[in-house]
Amino acid sequence: MIENSLRNNWKIHLFVLILVGVAEFIGVKNFNIGIGTIALFPMLYALIIGAIISLPSFNIVKMKEMNLAANILGISFMLFVAKLGMLMGPSLPKIFEAGISLGLQEAGHFAGTILLGLPIALLLGMKREAVGATFSIDREPNLAIIAEKYGSDSPEGRGAIGVYVCGTLFGALYLSVLASFMAQTGWFHPISLAMGAGVGSGSMMAAMSGALAVIFPESAKDIAVFAGAANIITTILGTYICVFFSLPFTNYLYKKLEPILGRKSKKDQNETTNIGGA
Amino acid sequence: MKDKIFTFITIGLIALIGNWVGYDVTPIEALPGMIIIVAVTILGFLFAKIIPIKLPIVVWVSMLALLVTTPIFPGNASIAKVTEQVNFMALATPILAYAGLSFGKDLKDFKKLGWRIVMVSLVVYTGTFVLSTLVAEIGFRITGQFH
Repeated sequence: MIENSLRNNWKIHLFVLILVGVAEFIGVKNFNIGIGTIALFPMLYALIIGAIISLPSFNIVKMKEMNLAANILGISFMLFVAKLGMLMGPSLPKIFEAGISLGLQEAGHFAGTILLGLPIALLLGMKREAVGATFSIDREPNLAIIAEKYGSDSPEGRGAIGVYVCGTLFGALYLSVLASFMAQTGWFHPISLAMGAGVGSGSMMAAMSGALAVIFPESAKDIAVFAGAANIITTILGTYICVFFSLPFTNYLYKKLEPILGRKSKKDQNETTNIGGA
Repeated sequence: MKDKIFTFITIGLIALIGNWVGYDVTPIEALPGMIIIVAVTILGFLFAKIIPIKLPIVVWVSMLALLVTTPIFPGNASIAKVTEQVNFMALATPILAYAGLSFGKDLKDFKKLGWRIVMVSLVVYTGTFVLSTLVAEIGFRITGQFH
C-alpha cells in the first residue's frame, strides 16, 4: 500500500512524470468532426496513454503498482482540491451570489441519476440491479451504503459495483467528451456547466472542468471555482442524501415504474438478475 | 502520514514540471505557490485526524484552502497571488495520469459485465451532469445572473 513510500513507488511516480511531461508538451488540440469540435487536452492524453500502458497484456505495470496508482489517485486529488479552494476564497462573494442556483442544481446531481437512469435500466430489462445502479453515481461512499443495506453480493450490490467499475474506467473520459458537446450547443452558461461538473468524483470533475476550460478559456477561473464549489457540496451532502432521499426514492420509483417499463415477467427475473449473463 | 507527505511533495514536483512545460511558468516562480498548496493539503489531513467532527478529508482541505484566501485571513491577497502561478489544469494532469495507470486493474471486472450495465452507467453519468447543469441554467435565467 502507500505505506511503502517512495522507495517502492518511484516507478509509478516516474511514469506519471513522463506522462505529464509528454501530455503538457502536446498541449491543447482541437479536431473538427463535423457535428462539433473535439477538444483534446493534456489531462486526456495522460489518462489515455496511462491506460494503454497499464493494459495487462503489455505487462509493463504490475497489478500491485496499479493498486498503488489507484491509492495515490485519491491523495493526488487533495492537492487539486486545495488549489480550487484557494481560487474560491477571493471569489466567495460571487459564489454566494449564485447561492440559489448552486443549491438548486444539487437536486439535479442527486435526482439526475435516478430520473434518467432508472427508466432506461428498466427498459433494458434490469430488475433490482437497476436500483443499485441508478440511485447515485456509485462511487465508494455510495457502494458502502448499498453494501450495508443489501450486501455487496445482492442484485442491488452488483448493479452498484457494475456502475462503479464503468465509472472508474471510463467516467472521466466519457464525461469530458459529454461536457465538450454540451458546451458547444451554446445553450448553457459556462458557470452552469461548471456546476454540473461537480458530480462528486475527483477525477471526473477534474476532467470535465478541464474540457470546459479549453472551450471557454476566458472563464477558466470561474469554471474551476464553481465546479469545485458544486463538487464539495455534492461530497458533503452525498452520504446523507443517498441514505435519506436517493435510495428510498429509487425504491419508490422502481415499484411504480417496474410494472410499466419492466420488460419481462417475474418468472424470468432469475435470468436478468445475472448481469454477467447479459 | 510521513508517506503521505512524501507523496504530496512528489506530486507537487511533478505538477511543477507540468506547469512549466504546459503553462510556461518556471518551477522557481511557481515553487512558493506549490509549497503553500502542499502545506494546506497536509494541514487538512492533520485537521481531519485531530478534530473529532467526522467529515471527509476533502472537505477539511477545501475549507482550509478557502479560509486562507478569504479577505478575513491575514496575507490572503499574497497567498492568492502566489498560488495563481500554479495553473489548476497543471495540478489535474497528474491525477488523471494516476487514474490512467490504474486502468488495467479493473479491466478484468469490466469484462464480466454485461452491455446493459455499461449503457446504464453512461446514462447515470449523463443524468447527473445534464440535469444539474439544466437546473443551474434555469436558475440563472430566472434570477438574471451571469446573463
